[in-house]
Amino acid sequence: MKTDRPLAPVPPTAGRTLDAQLHLMDRQVLDHDGVPVTTVDDLELNGPELDTNIPPGAPAPVLTALLTGPVLGTRIFGGRPPSTRLIRIPWEDVADVGIVIRLGVSGENLDAGWVERWIRDKIIARIPGGRHDPR
Amino acid sequence: MKRLLGVALGVLTAIGGFVDIGDLVTNAVVGSRFGMSLVWVVVVGVVGICLFANMSGRVAAASGRATFEVIRERLGPRAGLANLSASFLINLMTVTAEIGGVALALQLASSVHYLLWIPVAALAVWLVIWRVKFSIMENVTGLLGLTLIVFAVALFLLKPDWGSLAGQALAPAVPAEETAPTYWYYAIALFGAAMTPYEVFFFSSGAVEEGWKVKDLVQSRINVLVGFPLGGLLSVAIAGCAAVVLLPAGIAVTSLSQVILPVAEGAGKLGLAFVLVGVMAATFGAALETTLSSGYTLAQFFGWSWGKFRSPAQAARFHLAMIICLLVGLAVLATGVDPVLVTEYSVVFSAIALPLTYLPILIVANDPQYMGEHVNGRPVNVMAMIYLVIILVASLAAIPLMIVTGAGS
Repeated sequence: MKTDRPLAPVPPTAGRTLDAQLHLMDRQVLDHDGVPVTTVDDLELNGPELDTNIPPGAPAPVLTALLTGPVLGTRIFGGRPPSTRLIRIPWEDVADVGIVIRLGVSGENLDAGWVERWIRDKIIARIPGGRHDPR
Repeated sequence: MKRLLGVALGVLTAIGGFVDIGDLVTNAVVGSRFGMSLVWVVVVGVVGICLFANMSGRVAAASGRATFEVIRERLGPRAGLANLSASFLINLMTVTAEIGGVALALQLASSVHYLLWIPVAALAVWLVIWRVKFSIMENVTGLLGLTLIVFAVALFLLKPDWGSLAGQALAPAVPAEETAPTYWYYAIALFGAAMTPYEVFFFSSGAVEEGWKVKDLVQSRINVLVGFPLGGLLSVAIAGCAAVVLLPAGIAVTSLSQVILPVAEGAGKLGLAFVLVGVMAATFGAALETTLSSGYTLAQFFGWSWGKFRSPAQAARFHLAMIICLLVGLAVLATGVDPVLVTEYSVVFSAIALPLTYLPILIVANDPQYMGEHVNGRPVNVMAMIYLVIILVASLAAIPLMIVTGAGS
């Protein structure tokens, strides 16, 4: 993103300030029952496209979703997956950010859980004792 | 009273669980070639594992985060993935070695070739992981592993010259027939065997499995600070037995039967029966711990659901990963590779990977966001920094020494 003039200072905001790198990236995500869903592999912001000029007074980018899936590979090895391949957890679903990120919804219906559900339904649950509760 | 019993059980389990195939083989090899002159390394290693196991247990109890979640978060995905690859491969090697160890112990007990026992051993490991409750799994293998005390009994019955044993241990010197690089190579192997990273992954994940809270920290501290040093004494007894029987006879240990030979000589048939049970329990227990650790590291890095406190269906990828690891271990052993050799390499590679595991734990144990008031005190940090230097030196020296000595031959 290029600008002609220095950006305006960050306006004062109410509440907690989160550092994306420190408090969001690579944090464990739990659903509302405390079951791990995934780790935050990347973040999605809405805002101006890359390499476009930002007009003065443009609204600040807003965090729209936590990303997971193939984006981890491209974050490590470089490149960018097509946006259709991104698995999103919308920011509205986030209930709390602490040393873990808690969602206010069940992981059962999230796109981020499809691999887990597939392996569960096709393999693990079919082995005898797969649904046995150890406690 | 119940609390006291819990502490006693925890300590006994820690003693029995401390020794694995790596400790058995490395200590016997070292005893048979260097006498007691490397006992100091066991002491250094035991203090180190106490320090860092305690720290990772405290992180898990205070924050509910297990070690590899913390590693990914602090190192980022790139360094985290490099770390995961190294730790996971070494862990897989250890799984292979432990299953081979179970099979070798079964061969000694039954005279049926160990290759036939390998599928049995792997299936048994999987069944326990699939079905048995975590605490039962821990306690049974730990308590049965206690029979390894027979190494200490045998050492007494062998009536060694205690003065010369103590002399070797207290004034270490490289024996005349060995070279200095070989001596240091085995020092690193012994250090790696005592401080194997999987113990920390397992310990911290186990704390989450058992739902430790801050109030359980006292008990965990007793388990570690009493149990591990006593487990270290077992290691020393194994080396002592080898030093008394095998060193004078000029036998350098290359097989599991030679590891337990001194027990048969010192404590007879009964001793032999005990040591076979002990070796089986210790290697089987460690096979469970390492297999679980492979699942833990992968699941925690990628944020999958994990844990034996969930049914397998609720932690599907975790269980599938462990099944695949066991199958890979099985395939490696089926090639006929010597499990003792795999063990000897796995402990040295463990030593190489040590800094990868221990540095992130130290960083997080100092982070008040995770730890609140339970951050490291200054004495712990000073000790940990000293150990980090030792670990780094051992890690850097391992590969050159391996090349120079031809892997200790």
